[in-house]
Amino acid sequence: MTTGTRRDAPGLAADRTVRGRRRAAGPFAGRWSAHWYAWAMVAPVLLVMGVLIGYPLLRGVYLSLTDATEANVGRTIGMNTIPATYRFVGLDNYVQIFSDSEFWLRLGWTFLWTVASVTLTVGLGLGLAMLLNRRLRFRGLYRVILILPWAAPAFVSTFIWRYVLNNDFGLANGMLRAAGLPTVEWLDDPTMAKVSVILVNVWLGIAFNMVALLGGLQSVPRELYEAARVDGASAWQQFRNITLPMLRPVSRTVILLGTIWSFNQFPVIFLLTRGGPNGATEILVTAAYRDAFMGLRDYSGSAANGMVILVLLVVMASLYLRSLRKQGEVW
Amino acid sequence: MRRTPLVGLVTGLALALAACGGGGSADKPVTSVDPATVSGTVTYWDTSDAAVEGPVFKELIKDFESKHPKVKVNYVNVPFGEAQNKFKTAAQGGSGTPDVLRADVGWVTEFASLGYLAPLDGTYALDKPEDLLPTPAGSTKFNGKTFAVPQTTDSLGLLYNKELLKKAGHEAPPKTIAELKQFALDVKDKTGKTGLTLNVDGFFVLPFLYGEGGDLVDAANKKITVNSPQSVAGLKVISDLISSGAAAKPAIADSYLAAMTAFKEGRTAMIYNGPWSTTDALKGSAFKNKENLGVAPVPAGSVKAASPTGGHDYTVYAGSKNLAASYAFVRFMSSTDSQSKVAARLGLLPTRTSAYARPEVQGNELVKTWKPIVDTGAPRAWIPEGGQLFEPLVQAYQGMATGKLDAAGVGRTVDGKYREILKGWN
Amino acid sequence: MARSHTGEARRGLGASIALHGTLVAASAFALIPLLWLVLTSLKPKDAWISSDVRFFDDPTLANYEYVLTETSFPRWLLNSVLVAGLTTVIGVLIAASTGYAISRFRFTGLRSILWLLLVTQMFPVAVLIVPLYNLLGRMGLLNQYPGLVLAYLTVAVPFCAWLLKGYFDTIPTEIDQAGQIDGLTPFGAFWRLVLPLAKPGLAVAAFYSFVTAWGEVAYATAFMTGDEHYTLAPGLQQFVSQSRAEWGWLTAAAVMITIPAGAVFLAVQRHLVSGLTAGATKS
Repeated sequence: MTTGTRRDAPGLAADRTVRGRRRAAGPFAGRWSAHWYAWAMVAPVLLVMGVLIGYPLLRGVYLSLTDATEANVGRTIGMNTIPATYRFVGLDNYVQIFSDSEFWLRLGWTFLWTVASVTLTVGLGLGLAMLLNRRLRFRGLYRVILILPWAAPAFVSTFIWRYVLNNDFGLANGMLRAAGLPTVEWLDDPTMAKVSVILVNVWLGIAFNMVALLGGLQSVPRELYEAARVDGASAWQQFRNITLPMLRPVSRTVILLGTIWSFNQFPVIFLLTRGGPNGATEILVTAAYRDAFMGLRDYSGSAANGMVILVLLVVMASLYLRSLRKQGEVW
Repeated sequence: MRRTPLVGLVTGLALALAACGGGGSADKPVTSVDPATVSGTVTYWDTSDAAVEGPVFKELIKDFESKHPKVKVNYVNVPFGEAQNKFKTAAQGGSGTPDVLRADVGWVTEFASLGYLAPLDGTYALDKPEDLLPTPAGSTKFNGKTFAVPQTTDSLGLLYNKELLKKAGHEAPPKTIAELKQFALDVKDKTGKTGLTLNVDGFFVLPFLYGEGGDLVDAANKKITVNSPQSVAGLKVISDLISSGAAAKPAIADSYLAAMTAFKEGRTAMIYNGPWSTTDALKGSAFKNKENLGVAPVPAGSVKAASPTGGHDYTVYAGSKNLAASYAFVRFMSSTDSQSKVAARLGLLPTRTSAYARPEVQGNELVKTWKPIVDTGAPRAWIPEGGQLFEPLVQAYQGMATGKLDAAGVGRTVDGKYREILKGWN
Repeated sequence: MARSHTGEARRGLGASIALHGTLVAASAFALIPLLWLVLTSLKPKDAWISSDVRFFDDPTLANYEYVLTETSFPRWLLNSVLVAGLTTVIGVLIAASTGYAISRFRFTGLRSILWLLLVTQMFPVAVLIVPLYNLLGRMGLLNQYPGLVLAYLTVAVPFCAWLLKGYFDTIPTEIDQAGQIDGLTPFGAFWRLVLPLAKPGLAVAAFYSFVTAWGEVAYATAFMTGDEHYTLAPGLQQFVSQSRAEWGWLTAAAVMITIPAGAVFLAVQRHLVSGLTAGATKS
């Protein structure tokens, strides 16, 4: 840590050094033994992921092209032997998904939910990080308090929120009543339920973003700001031209992860509203869960849903990374 | 676990055990097995309330073990909300499964149709089937075979706050839907409290449908009837109760709890609920005087008064390697003695006629109150898809509660969903 | 380092009020649900369902006493600690070697491995549960701690490897080269030289792994059976029966779960910031 090398900031996936090094060829590049070592070090992960995720994933691709359900896959249970009777149906499952008007409504809400969640968590996280990056009294205390929501297990927090937002005996309406204000149907009104699930997701996610971005901010060399001030740059200009670009490696990562996590955020919605009222807060993942677990398990339908989600995310991630590359970032 | 080389052996063993336990063979029913000779380990998944009911069942299991010294029972409390999924996941994969599962009456035909359950006709598990009450016993049948032995039965009734009804000028509970609405409006006028609080849940819709002669499906004729004029009339009853102000706008999140709490606190005069809720209701501030709690059969619609049958059954996993011991366990747990003990301690309603003759059962307040109500319980459509019918209904009911759908819209929407689930039905 | 980057040394009173006001409001938003959790746990068992919302209601420790003495909570807690601990140790080791390899070696497939790691996070867990259950069943790992740990590794390792790769990128390669000149193998250089330098990054990875395993519900519920093997999430579901949830016990248990996690948090939160920062401003 005491080397004089200037490290590139922000860390979640710092790259500038890497890029430089890659061009200059890595320290062990080109040597067979190095490759052997490299593969040996990566092997455990590839093995575990390949077996535990890769296999179900490939199986999922296959199942999504069949009409397999719990009832028609072959199995032997003690005295009962049931032969496999499911068939290959090509793209039928996908056709069915895309021709379902509910899917498109749900997709729209899933995007809205993801964009709102990511914008708010990253935006508010950045705001708080910038406040905490100043010299001020009680900074340590604020930081500790603001990180706390990350410390509570998500299932605990979500249950608490469900309780806080309850119509009759929740704290939120209790306080409104005490203040003589009309109460709000936090989880029962379709629109408010949407607001509430986003609110809770933001509450859960802010701490991680704040910590990551605070790390990024602290790594921005102070000289840059000093130089900018000498040049007479306003606070906004400094933010625009120094803070944001220097934060990019971190912000890029938190945005990417935030998008993936929100898009697939099952517990918050399921534990708060179970997708209700009347499906108003159902996102693609909770719907896939329904196919997979409610009633007769639809292996093929849920696999197809899973594939659609996977493809959407891969496309979104690629577009995002491509747009970053256009701005001169190498990922 | 390391199943491949053992598969043959295990299946052989299971067959041998099945044979000695009486298996599914068409031979004479097995009516007597010497408890001292039965051996094995029975993994039992209990879905009852771990804090209140669990201990009583555990005592019963101790009795069983002392009478069957070579059988060990591995008692596992699996939370009710998880049990159905957990069992299905385990059963399809054949590992981590229980031998005996306490299943909701609505699950049995589904599990049976998937081949997860052992048929019990003629086995040692099924003792005196003629003694079983016909309605709960209906839940155990699939394709002419018996796949479970009922543990307890229940149904819905009308719970009411006597004091509030009296203040509204009514001594007796409402007997018809018309009275229900009138009484509820009277309560609202005279006391300022809510007359009726509904619970947005599929099971709780059924009394209204039954009352007008409707139902979700007509299983005998393979007909979807949720959109029939009778069923829509039942749905209209609900929407009318809400729009007229007789019933409060129902809560959607934690709906059951909201209704129950309003009732316990004396904020509402009437709710629909089952025997399981009585003890909880009595803890409420409105029922410090126990006498204030009234329980009556559900009010009659224009056709009849009927409410759906619920309850729990003992089932045996078809892949169990301890069938003989499992059968002995189910027989013991569902015996008149065991049911009477449980009824006396917990007020769970027995499913055997003979149990109701026992003094300790007759002496139980809960049983006394609820027996006549459960007697009016209507059998549900015991079809494998039965478990899937509630979800679309709840969704649409939520739509009705938030004013997005009317009764006819609910009927239409749910009908559409049912056509996807019940392929080939009319 | 503690000095502000952008702010002036002195800020006006108005700005001060606005600054602290914002932070206090944010802190309140962060804290209130948790405080409410604590307050609820101190009420009598059934007091939580009441339309009369009060902060205090006959404070008592009865819920804690019940949960600690009458339920298997201590056992669940121990199981959770065990599973989360194993996930953390194994996860960080695996993730570190992967992250290092991707950071240091140029070999074909680098990009695809990074992508692969990311893609695994994009497939919904709900669809993975059944095939994963069958795989674990075939390996004899159901209802076993190693099975659950394995499942958690699939969640924790990709992110941690990614994170650590970023961290290793910031450690100059001259260090590895010096090690090689001294006769260390690439693995030796990694183990002896680079890993010790990456402590803050490892701390974040460890923390992330721990939190992931500590709060996971779906896998734990599906794969574990019985009090001896339940971790906290499935264990606590025993407080929720068919017709009611015992919130008094749930909240007491939740407080007891959150406190150790919170304490770990407070202990490492400084490292969290610097770990994610990759130590760029150290001087």
